[in-house]
This record gives sequence, C-alpha cells and structure tokens, in this order.
Amino acid sequence: MDTPSLSGSAASGGRLLHLHRSGGSSFRRRLRPGGGASEAGTPLGGVSYVSTPIPDDDAFDVGADKYLLAKTYFDCREYRRAAHVLRGQAGRKAVFLRCYALYTAGEKRKEEETIELEGSLGKSNAINQELVALERELSTHRRTGAIDSFGLYLYGIVLRDKDCEGLARTVLVESVNSYPWNWSAWLELQSLCTSSDILNNLNLKNHWMKDFFLASAHLELKMHEEALKRYECLMRVFRCSDYIQAQIATVQYSMRDLDEADMIFEELLRTDPFRVDSMDVYSNLLYAKESSTALSFLAHRVFLTDKYRPESCCIIANYYSLKGQHEKSVLYFQRALKLNRKYLSAWTLMGHEFVELKNTPAAIDAYRRAVDINPRDYRAWYGLGQIYEMMGMPFYGLYYFRKSSYLQPNDARPWNAMAQCYESDQLQMIEEAIKCYERSANSNDTEGIALHQLGKLHSMLGQSEEAAFYYKKDLERIEAEERQGQNFVEALLFLAKYCKNIGRFEEAELYCTKLLDYTGPENETAKIFCKG
Amino acid sequence: MNVFAGVGGGAVGKEAASVGGGALLEVTPHKLAVCHLVQIFAPPPPQAGVAAPALPFPFESVAHHNRLGLFLFALTRSCEDFLEPPLEELLRQLKAVDSLVNGWLCQQLTSTLSVLNSPDDLFNFFDKLRGVLSAPEGANVEDEFLDPNSQLGVFLRCCILSFNTMAFEGVCHLLANLVEYCNSSETSYDFAEDEAFNSEIEMSNFMDANIHVRDAIFDKYSKGYAPESHMGEGSSSLVHASTSLHDFDEGIFKAEDNPDCLRSRWQLEAYLNQQADILEKDPSLVPLNSFNATMSQLQALAPELHRVQFLQYLNALTHDDYIAALDNLHRYFDYSAGMQGIFSRSSSSFQDIIVGKYESALLCLGNLHCYFGHPKKALEAFTEAVRVSQMNNDDSCLAYILGAISNLLSKIGMSSTIGTIGSPYSLGNNIGLGTPLSIQQQLLVLLKRSLKRADTLKLTSLVSFDHLSLAKFDLKHVQRPLVSFGPNAYTKLRTCPADVCKNLRLSSHVLTDFGVDGLSASSDNGSFSTSWLRNLSAASNSWCSSSTKSRKVLTNDFDNFHFHAQPSPIPAAVLQLAGSAYLLRATAWEHYGSAPMVRMNSLVYATCFADAASSSELSLAYVKLIQHLAAFKGYSAAFSALKLAEEKFPSTANSHIQLLKMQLLHERALHRGQLKIAQQICDEFGVLSSSVSGVDIELKTEASLRHARTLLAAKQFSQAANVANSLFSTCYKYNMQVENANVLLLLAEIHKNSDNAVLGLPYALASQSFCKSFNLDLLEASATLTLAELWLALGSTHAKRALSLACQSLPMILGHGGMELRARAHIVLAKCHLSDPKFKVTEDPCSVLDPLNQAVEDLQVLEYHEMAAEAYYLKALVYNNLGKLDEREEAAASFREHTIALENPYNEADSLSY
Repeated sequence: MDTPSLSGSAASGGRLLHLHRSGGSSFRRRLRPGGGASEAGTPLGGVSYVSTPIPDDDAFDVGADKYLLAKTYFDCREYRRAAHVLRGQAGRKAVFLRCYALYTAGEKRKEEETIELEGSLGKSNAINQELVALERELSTHRRTGAIDSFGLYLYGIVLRDKDCEGLARTVLVESVNSYPWNWSAWLELQSLCTSSDILNNLNLKNHWMKDFFLASAHLELKMHEEALKRYECLMRVFRCSDYIQAQIATVQYSMRDLDEADMIFEELLRTDPFRVDSMDVYSNLLYAKESSTALSFLAHRVFLTDKYRPESCCIIANYYSLKGQHEKSVLYFQRALKLNRKYLSAWTLMGHEFVELKNTPAAIDAYRRAVDINPRDYRAWYGLGQIYEMMGMPFYGLYYFRKSSYLQPNDARPWNAMAQCYESDQLQMIEEAIKCYERSANSNDTEGIALHQLGKLHSMLGQSEEAAFYYKKDLERIEAEERQGQNFVEALLFLAKYCKNIGRFEEAELYCTKLLDYTGPENETAKIFCKG
Repeated sequence: MNVFAGVGGGAVGKEAASVGGGALLEVTPHKLAVCHLVQIFAPPPPQAGVAAPALPFPFESVAHHNRLGLFLFALTRSCEDFLEPPLEELLRQLKAVDSLVNGWLCQQLTSTLSVLNSPDDLFNFFDKLRGVLSAPEGANVEDEFLDPNSQLGVFLRCCILSFNTMAFEGVCHLLANLVEYCNSSETSYDFAEDEAFNSEIEMSNFMDANIHVRDAIFDKYSKGYAPESHMGEGSSSLVHASTSLHDFDEGIFKAEDNPDCLRSRWQLEAYLNQQADILEKDPSLVPLNSFNATMSQLQALAPELHRVQFLQYLNALTHDDYIAALDNLHRYFDYSAGMQGIFSRSSSSFQDIIVGKYESALLCLGNLHCYFGHPKKALEAFTEAVRVSQMNNDDSCLAYILGAISNLLSKIGMSSTIGTIGSPYSLGNNIGLGTPLSIQQQLLVLLKRSLKRADTLKLTSLVSFDHLSLAKFDLKHVQRPLVSFGPNAYTKLRTCPADVCKNLRLSSHVLTDFGVDGLSASSDNGSFSTSWLRNLSAASNSWCSSSTKSRKVLTNDFDNFHFHAQPSPIPAAVLQLAGSAYLLRATAWEHYGSAPMVRMNSLVYATCFADAASSSELSLAYVKLIQHLAAFKGYSAAFSALKLAEEKFPSTANSHIQLLKMQLLHERALHRGQLKIAQQICDEFGVLSSSVSGVDIELKTEASLRHARTLLAAKQFSQAANVANSLFSTCYKYNMQVENANVLLLLAEIHKNSDNAVLGLPYALASQSFCKSFNLDLLEASATLTLAELWLALGSTHAKRALSLACQSLPMILGHGGMELRARAHIVLAKCHLSDPKFKVTEDPCSVLDPLNQAVEDLQVLEYHEMAAEAYYLKALVYNNLGKLDEREEAAASFREHTIALENPYNEADSLSY
C-alpha cells in the first residue's frame, strides 16, 4: 500500500509497474480469493462495497515466451527492444507492455532532449514523440473494447500529457473501476482533480480503494478535516499500514498539530527505518519545531538510504537552513529541483532561503516558479507578498496577499499580512486594515496580532468603545494562554484609562492593580491612576 | 568592393555586443540554408595571384548579385514571425529573386542541403564557411570578400561560433531537423521546378505531386525502422496496420511539420516590438484569444523570453481584461525581476536609460489602474513608484512616473474638495511645499518637475510629452503664482495662448532631437526587411497562381515598394509624439475659435502622421474634420464623410467615431425638432460613461449639457435650468472652467427663451468674462450675441445697445463661426434694425433683407426649422412694410412650411439613419 505520493509518472516507470510485476497470471489467481476475503473482512462501518471485479485475462499460452522476453528487456530498461519484441502481438497484456515500453522510452528520450535542446532562451519543451501514435492506437483499442484496465491507465496518462484532461479523467475512472488496485492510476486521477467539484463529480464505484483515493485527494485539496476522518476510518481496518500513518501525520502537520504528527513520524521511523517517502514532511515539521538534532539525525539517515532522492536533498537543505547556512541550503534545494523540476515545496522553501540571503530577485523567481507550477500554493503567494513588502512596496505586495488569502480564506496569516500592508507608513489606509484584522480575528488568529492591532487602530481613530472591546478580548486571550508581555501591558493601560474616563472606577482599579505587577514606566502610570 | 561593409555601422556593433553577452543565435536548418546562400553570394576568395572574376559564378549582373545580397540581408533581419519559414517558403522567395538563372540557386541549395547526411558533413560545411570570412594573404581592399563586420559577416560568424560550441547531441539534433526541413518541402519544390505550365496543368501537377509525396512518405514509413528514424516513427510503423489510411495520412502530415525553430534573439525581440506596436495602434486588429495562443506557443518554445508575458499583459489591457492584465503584469515583473526592463528596445547600449526593476512595475501598475479608471489605486501605485525610484536613485524612471502622474491628474477629474492626495507621505509632501495645493497646482508643479528632470536626463520623448501636457494645461488653466508676496503681486488672471504655442513648438523638437535618449534610437527595427520579404512573397505568390501575363509584370517589379514600406528615418514613437502636437494644435484652435486652423492642423495630422498614428488618435483627427464639415457644409456632407470614416475605422468600439455620430444625430434632431429622438440619443450618451465618479468626466459633462439643450428645445425651462445648474456645480467642483463658460451661456439662453431676460443678463456677462480670461474668442462672440438678444428682449429702447453688441461680435462670427452661429447673428442684426424705432425699412431695405436672406440660406442647409421660420417671418414683415406682396406671400408660405415641419416632425424612423 506504500506508494510514493510524489512520483511523477515520467521518472518512475519501473516503480509504477510493480502491481503488474507478477508476470504470469497464476499469482493473481492465487490472490483472488484472498482479495475476496479481505473484502469480506472489511465491512467499514456498514458501508456496502462493490465486489472486486475480476479482470478476464487472455489465454496465457499465446506468445508467452515473447511476453516474458519483452518483460525482461523492460526490466533491464531496454524499452524499445521490449516493444520491438512484442510487435504484432495482439494479446491485451502484450499490447499494454508494448505501449507502456514505448511510452517510457519516449519519456526517457524526452528528458534527455530537454537537456540537449536547452538554448539561450531557456529550455525548449521537448515532447514525448510517441504520444500521437499511442493515443491513436489506444483509442482504437478502447473503441473496440480490446483493452484492459492497465491499457486504460496508460491511455489516461497519454491523454493527460496531450492536455485532454476531461477525457483523461473519464478513462482513468474506467480503469480504476475495472481494476481498483492500481494505485498509480488513482494517483494520476488525483492529480487531475484540481477542485472539489471535479472530485465530487467522478463516477467511481464504491470500492474500498476509493476511500484511500478520496482521503488522499482531500489532503491535496487542503480539506484536512475530511481527509483525517477518512484516514482514521481506514486506520481501524488496516492497522499496520504505515502509509496511512504517514498520511495521518501529514494531515496533522498541515493542521498545525505538530506534536501529534511528530509522535507518529517517530513511530514510523522505528518500524520502517529506511523510509524516505513523506520524510520531507517530517523534516518540515522538525524545522518548525526547531529541533536540529532530530533533523540532523533524519538527514543522516536518508542520506545513507538514498541520497539522490529529491526528498533526501530537501531534508538536508532544511537542516542547513535551520543551522543558518543558507547558501548550502540553497545548493541542496537546487539539487532536489534538478532531480524533480516540479517539486513544489522545494521551490517555495528555496524562495524562503533566498529571502534569508537577501537575494530578492532570486527569491521572487523561485516563488513565482512555484506559483506557476501550482497556482494554489498559497505559501508562495504569501512569500511573494512578503518580499515586496520588505522592499517597501506594500501596495504592490497587496496583490499577492490577496491571492494568498483567496486561496486560504480561513487562515489568519495572509489577512494579518494584508492588514499590515494597509497600515504601513506608506499606505496608511487604516479602515482597510481594520477590515482585514477583523477577518483575521474571526479566523482564529493564533499569533494574536489581530486583536491587539484592532484595539490599537480603533484607539488611534478615536473609537475608544471599539478599542476597549478588542483590548478586553485580547486580554482574555493572553490570560487564557498565560502569557505576558508588552501587548498585555498596553491593553491594561488602555483599559484602565478608558474605564476611568467613563467612570467605571472599580474596573479601572482592577486593571491598575494588574499593572502594578509590572516594572517599568507603566507601573508609575498605574500608581498615578490609583491615586487620582 | 566590400560587400555591405559597415551596413548601419553602429547597429552591427551593438549586435555583436549583444551576441557576446550570451545571446547566441542557435544554428537551425534555415540558418544553414542562409549560410550556404551567403557562401554563394560571396564565395571564398581565390588564392593570391589568381585573378578573381568580376562577379561570382552564377550571377549575370551586378544588380542580380546585389538583389541576392539584399534578400539575404532581409532574411537575417525580418521579423514577420517568431518561427523560421519552411524551406518551401525560402525556395519560393529565392525563385522570385533569382529569375535570371533559371532556378540554379534553388537546385544548388536543395542539393547541398540534402547531401548533408552525417555529422561529419556538417563539420566540413562549417569549415568551408570559415573560408568565406578570412581574407586571403595579400588581399587589398579592392578585392571582393565579405566584411566580417557587416550584417551578413556577423551572421556567419555567429553561426560558426554557435556550431563550434555545440555538443555532439546538438549536432545530431541539427541533422535530424535538417532532414525534416528538407523533406517537408520535397513536394512543392518538385512542383515549383516545373516551369512550363498553364493553370490547369499546374493544378494537376500539384495534385500529382501531392499524391506522390504521400506515397513516398508512406513507403518510407512502412519500411519500419529506417536507419535514420530515432523517434516517433517506430511506433507509427506499428500502428499503421491497425488504422485506416486516412487517419494515418493526417497524422503523418501533422508530425511531419516543419521543425519548430526559433529565429534569432534579435528577430524575436523585433517581432515582439512589432506586435506591441500593432497592439498600441489598433487593438481591434488583434483578436484576444488567438494572440494569446500565439504568445503561449512562443513562450513554450522560449520560456526565458519573458517579454512575451509583457505582450500578453498589453494584449489583455487593450482588450479590457482586467484580471488577466493584472496577472500577466505581475508575472512579467516577477520573472524578469525587472531586469529586462520595459523600455529597453532590443539592443540599446545606453544602460542608464533602461528603466528597469520594480519601480517600472509600479509605473505599469499605475498606468493599468489609470487605464481601467481606478484613480485612487493608480495614485497609490504611482506614489509607491516615486518612493521606490527615489530609493533606487532611478532618476529617469522618476521622470516618467511624474509624467504619468500628471497624465492621471489631467485625465481624471479630481474633485478639489476631496483630499485625494491626503496622507503626509504622498505627493503633497514630495513637492516640498508646506501649504496644501489644489490639484491643478500640483499638476503644474509635477509637470514642471518632470520636464526639468527629463531635460537634464536628455529623455527627449519625455520632454516632448511634458511640453504637450503643459500646453494642454495652459489651454485650460490660468497659471497663478504659487506663492504671492505682498499686496503688490500683480496677477493677470488669463490663460496665455503664447505659452501654449511655445510648448507645442518645443514639443515638436522631438523630431530633430530623437535618438539622444536611446529609447527611440534604433530606427531599423526589422520592419523594412519584413515588408521587403512580404512584398517578395506576395509577388511570387501571384506569380505562381495567376496567369503568365501578370507574372511578367510582377517579376520585374517585386522590389518596387509601396510607399509605406520605405524605411522611415524617424521612429514611429517619435512621429506619434510629433503628430500629437498637431492634434493638440487643432484642439487649441478649437478652443480659441478658429475653424480654418482646426481644419488645417487636422488635415496635416491625417495626411502626414497617419502611418504612425494609433487608430484612436487618427479617428480623432477625422472627427475634427467631420465636425468642421457639419458646421460649415451641413449635415448631409458630414454624414457622407462619417460613412467613409466608419469604413476606415470599422471597429464598433471606436469611441470617437461613435460619439461623433451621436453628436451629429443629436444636433440634427434638435434642429429638425425631433425631440423624442434627441432625448433618446441623450440617454444613450449618459449610458456611455462609466458610473464611477470622476471618471469619464468630459463625457458626462457633454451628456448633461446635451440633456439641458434638449429640455430647452422642448421648452421645459425650469427643468433645463435645473440640469444646467447642477452641471455648473459639477464643473465647478472639478475645476472645469472652460466648460463653465459653456454652461453659463446655456443658462443665459434658457432664461432668454423663458422670457426672463433680466435673469439671463448676469449669466451672459459671466460667461463672457470666463471666455475672456480663457481666450475663448468664438464662444465670447456668441456670448456677446446672446447678450445682444437679451438687451433686445428688454425692449426697443435697448435696440441701439444691442445693435452695437451684435456688430461687435460680427467679425469673429463671420470669420470663424459655423453656419448656425452666422445665421443667428444675421437674424439678430435684422431684429435690432427692425426694433429700432428710428430705423425705416423703406429707406434701407437691404440692411435687413441681406442678412435675412443669408440666414435663410444657411438655415435651410442645416434644416434648422425653428430659426428658419423666424427668419422667414421677419422677411415677410419686411416685405409687408415694403409693400411687395408677392414676396411677402412667398416668405409667409415658407414660414408656414417650416412651422409645420417643426410641429409635425415627419419620418422619425429614418432620422436615426443617415
């Protein structure tokens, strides 16, 4: 069940095929009763699932030798040779293997060409030369019905590469409906579901693999609660699945539940010490918790396991970043990006590093590439906004914060950033700032900036009633979190003054006594208040 | 005889410099072909001692030789497309050039290219090329060889260098592309070879050739793994068994397309600049989506050429797509980090001129908001731009920003009562004067500041622009000293036409000074080469498809250019600026009230600057000419001219023409007394303007002015007065003094027509004084006329005074006024005489009848029934007094006719057409 969540279809030909690796059909025949049993043994909360469809295989005798020879060539990565061996074979499996070999060969050549054709005006977009022919052949097969689910899967990929997304989705749905255990097909389908509307409109059979798919898709679409719920359900059935565990940890990290996620990841590493998948998320988590020892340990471990995985490079880069060695960090991010040009979080994180290095053009470039790969990456938008704000261009930066908050409307941070732009010295648009802070305060601002700023801005505008309201709320929050600081003192001071002015002396006295616990000029002011 | 030695010396130097900067061109099959042709054009010099022939082998005359040279030059400079042309196209053009040696060149070229079969052949090819450039020992200047610094020499050197730095994989790709390149044209070449044909044979040949090639390709593919097939073909061979022949053919021809090879960087940038010019000139020529598709195709091929995104921004902007424009703007500046700049035209060597970086992003953002009518946002962006460019010491950008701000301030009505520029960090403070200034004063200060900066930085275009803006400002505003000391400070509260003229004159200096600032330096932007090639292919196309007769005409004629294809020594941007000066001159005279000058300046603009002008400006000139026609020749002439103009500017979106049409229709409807239609057009006017306050302020003013006039014609005096009053207060709020003069005059008219002459007098006087201080001579004359009418209405005792006032206004009105005004003056004159008790008609009938006849003539052309009726009435009275009964009856009948026409406006249906 453990499949890399980031595997691009291009690079991982060998890995994608592992579900099909059994070669002979005997293995699968053996598996079928098992599959039935697991299906019988997994009544998830009374949901009725469809029985697993049984793919009808060709008679294995026809061209079996050739198939085996081709399979061996394929495993030796001699794709064209494999395809050549299978020419003229009409069996479904043979057709699939031949097409798949051709596709892989084309992908390989494409990757090579991308480097070869790089000119002064940037990389030319090499295309997989086989796509046209493959599409034609596979569509014919699909029309005549002479295609199995794997062929459909391949057809789906080809269609996706040719930018026919709608048809690609339909074909992939057909594929997973006829053979639900091809996780690669699910993943391709997931990458084509860019909004929850599309996801909900898929015509999927109610197989339990669908739960895995939906959970993963929800995670991708940032619908964390739904994802978590589904994964927890699945966890009850597949108790030992570390994939599900890793996904749960990822969800929890995304929901900022760091400690819980940390625990799960630690557990995962104990049971599966050579794991690299999802470990970049873990490293992000460790980075956020600033535990450099654990991060260095993790980096060391993945480095020994497989240093040429983008995830490994990312982990090492995170470590250097935590250590403040940003040049090295950038170096490793660049390596990760060389291994996978579409590694989204690496672009964003590299942008952060460039910010640290004060190399703003490079940072902007990195963030912008992240955004162009995935326009829904709110962190990169946020980063762009931050850079422009730092450069003293708050008005220009507003555009980016607006984008970010549009994507993440319930996150307080973009709203806070927007508000800060508005109230900056340059813009001084206080009313707009107040609107943003209100929005932020309503969406559970954990950093507690919004309430305090609201109080401050309202008092600046002379609206002391509103100011008092927000200061009081801020006070409650600070007291609940048992923190203290300058904000606390400011709030107390304002409230004391305010209550005194409107004649609520008892309340004022209460605030003053609280103030007396602090040293500093406010203490003196409080004393004066008490006397007066 | 150095061939093309030092063609555009400076430009070549720059080209070389930019090549050194890493912008190497990439060797493509097309460039190989050109290289080969260059080699034929200028073969390697013979060894010393061997006498060189006067002309290289295939050429029969010097002209022939030069023609090929020109063709090659054009090939390396043309920027018609971003992709290189297929071999077929090249051969066709070559055939047109080389009509003398019977396609020897074409044969030579194809045979040479098809012989290049292995990487080693390519190496040898480039080895031979090198010989072209090296002068033999002992050669002197008289010998013929290719100057390595000429355009073609540089091109050749770039190709050789690029090949030398190429990795083996690159050579393989080049070879593969070359095979495709040659194959793609096999057909047409065979067909073009066929010299003797008439149209039928040609057709059948064409069909045959096509079929042959399909067969050939089919054969090739059915062989399976041909030795040279690397990719793609393998699978096709497997497929074809299972697919129909038809499908197969289609697929093959798609895949067999010419390889997508980009032109050189210089050509790409020239192409983009050209597209930008087209977008600016007439956006309706560029369809939004297809242009976007082209641009994304280019972007896919050259992802690091970020200027493509800028073009996408321009495209979205000119098609009013706010979201896309904003997105593309941000994307462009994010990617290029502002390093590609916006003003750096191709290879400008003036580094300090390139307004780069983020301040220009803000400048563009501000312009975007300004364009979409968000003055407040635009101002915020500009303020930030000022700050950032001050931070980065970017003086030239600052100058541009100041220019842009003043443009914004002048364009968008800013109410002086609302503190738009309020915060202490914004402009008020930057100006450095402690006292708060009115918008107009700020505008003036900004303009002067921008002018000063531009002058010191030698940004000639900006200087010219600022002069134009100043002229515009002087036209409409009284310049007051910012700070006046003491009671003695004397201020003359008048506009100063001399200043306007001075600024307009200074603005035209851009015509002589351009090139200093480097932005407009490069006049050779490839358009000459492009149009040369386009002519060539047009000629050769018609040569291929039409009869032999036209062929004879065309083959000798292809290098006679159309006039506009000649390279103009003046860049289009400069021409545009210089042209705007003329247009502004026309507007100024419109204000000052000299119709002939308006006409003359508009004519100059429409004839001399039409090539460079954007469609909206050109249409403005046409509008002025048509308005002139309407005022002096009547509506039928104007409408027939309008029809022509609409044909010339077919886009329905062209607001100037559309507005003009509505203006003319409205006026005609008012004159004819078709009030419903007039009201309907008024309503349409109101819809045209944006609902945001402060935007489209001129349009709004005009709409309510026309509304008031319609109400006046409908004799709804109190309502008309209400509308006029509110209009006056709006104009006052937005400081539009010139419009105020108009409104006041209208108010006076309203009171005159409602028989409240006493109330009307102050308005007329106020209007007159406004006109005086803004030098609106014609309007002043018409105010004086109204004044005379008002006095007249007060009773016959004031006839004398009215007469003198009317006489006072006559010279101006008869000299410059339109037909309506002239007729009015004549009628007033006659009325003054008639109501003067001392005046006896019988003694001097001519002094009354002459003006009346004149008026009647004019009014009939204008179809102005109301006034025509009045004139006939007066005429009838006069004839009655004179005792000429026949004439009296005639005048009375005409009077009746016009009154009936006024009361029963006939055929309303056709009054919206013309």
